[in-house]
Amino acid sequence: MIHADQRESLERDVWATLAGVRDPEIPPCSITELGIVERVAVTDDAVEVDLLPTFAGCPALDVIRQDVEAAVRASADGRDVRVRFVFNPPWTSDRITAEGHLALRSYGITPPGVSLGPVVIPLASLARSEGMTCPFCGSRETVLESAFGPTLCRTIHFCRACRNPFEGFKPKGS
Amino acid sequence: MKEDPRTALLLALADDELIIGHRHSEWTGWAPHIEEDLAFSSIAQDEMAHARLLYGLAREAGLTDGDEDAMALGRRPEEYRNAWLCERPNGDWGFTVARQYLYDTADAVRVADLAESSWSELAEIMRVIQLEEKYHVDHALAWFHRLADGPSLTARERFADGLAAAIGEAIALFEPLPGEDRLVSDGVLPRSNEDMLGDWLGHLGQDLEAVSLDYVMARHGPLGEMVPTGSGEIPLETSDFQVPGVSRRDGRWAHEGGFAGAGGRRGRHSEDFLPLWEEMTALYRSHPGARW
Repeated sequence: MIHADQRESLERDVWATLAGVRDPEIPPCSITELGIVERVAVTDDAVEVDLLPTFAGCPALDVIRQDVEAAVRASADGRDVRVRFVFNPPWTSDRITAEGHLALRSYGITPPGVSLGPVVIPLASLARSEGMTCPFCGSRETVLESAFGPTLCRTIHFCRACRNPFEGFKPKGS
Repeated sequence: MKEDPRTALLLALADDELIIGHRHSEWTGWAPHIEEDLAFSSIAQDEMAHARLLYGLAREAGLTDGDEDAMALGRRPEEYRNAWLCERPNGDWGFTVARQYLYDTADAVRVADLAESSWSELAEIMRVIQLEEKYHVDHALAWFHRLADGPSLTARERFADGLAAAIGEAIALFEPLPGEDRLVSDGVLPRSNEDMLGDWLGHLGQDLEAVSLDYVMARHGPLGEMVPTGSGEIPLETSDFQVPGVSRRDGRWAHEGGFAGAGGRRGRHSEDFLPLWEEMTALYRSHPGARW
């Protein structure tokens, strides 16, 4: 029977390990910074990790699961490692931490935080300012060009000030 | 496959997503510009992921045997339960975005309902799906306004033609499911399909009337010639509707009775399904057990 102190210490170790697992599509960002680790539990015979998928169709999910399994196994003291994706609570982009915001910025992706507003997303000809901050010049004179970018979690914007296209992290549920 | 009305519900939802996702994916590499290439590819990716979640739930609940691949690609054509709307070829851009608008606004109604299902595992999945589908509705409405309100009359007419072609079968997205009464009495389905349809038709009517495109519902007036005036007044009350079962009552669109393209929920499909199925499942059938 595992002692409570020992369990807590192991769980802290697992959290620390998870803080080193990177998002394969946004390497500067760890999975804890993205807020996708929902629960860590150490039992007598297993380490359980519950993850929340950012976007259900994200092809990186399988890679993240494998990376988590491999990383946690090292600190699991011979226990079984059980990693699963759960859907409650739904992941929302406000789970991304302040460190996560910095990591996204360092990768040229503007973090979420400014709502995309109500239903109508203007296409190019109707574009209006969205206020997403340009990662190059810092201007907020930017427009959303498309809610669909190179990955499911990214959007495409254009900066009217420095005339560069840039990417944002797609706001979800916030 | 177990005889349980929940199977009919999950397969209707999942197969709609899978099949329309397959059609959307056909735009990959071919859409009019690169943003739309990405948009339709991303929407397809979302829809197929949602189908995967629902097939997974069906298996976990002991309703079906196959894994996600077997469910998506390993069934006989008559075992798919999608509505006909989803299997129709993409046609032109007008039809594509008209269908996407009709499908995703209708889907939003049932997803919102099912997020409150008494079946908690289903409700959890639907709440996740709901957050992602928001962007599909945004995309559809952006095109709706661009084509219906935009400067090009040709674009508007082709969008209207797309709506007229798709609208009847869009209504059949709400065709009652086998065993629906039990789903409703158990709270798995919070409202009947007929009730959800009434809700959606109300929104649809408002959307179309706001841009004077409600004439696409009427039998009279050949499409493409009847360009509405600024006031957009076409006496719908007195005209017949070409869409089975739809009429206008007390200023609101309502449905009663039949459906165009009925039968999807029982495994009956249009002539367009078999070619789609053959292509979609070709690799799976020719290399059983292949992994990629």
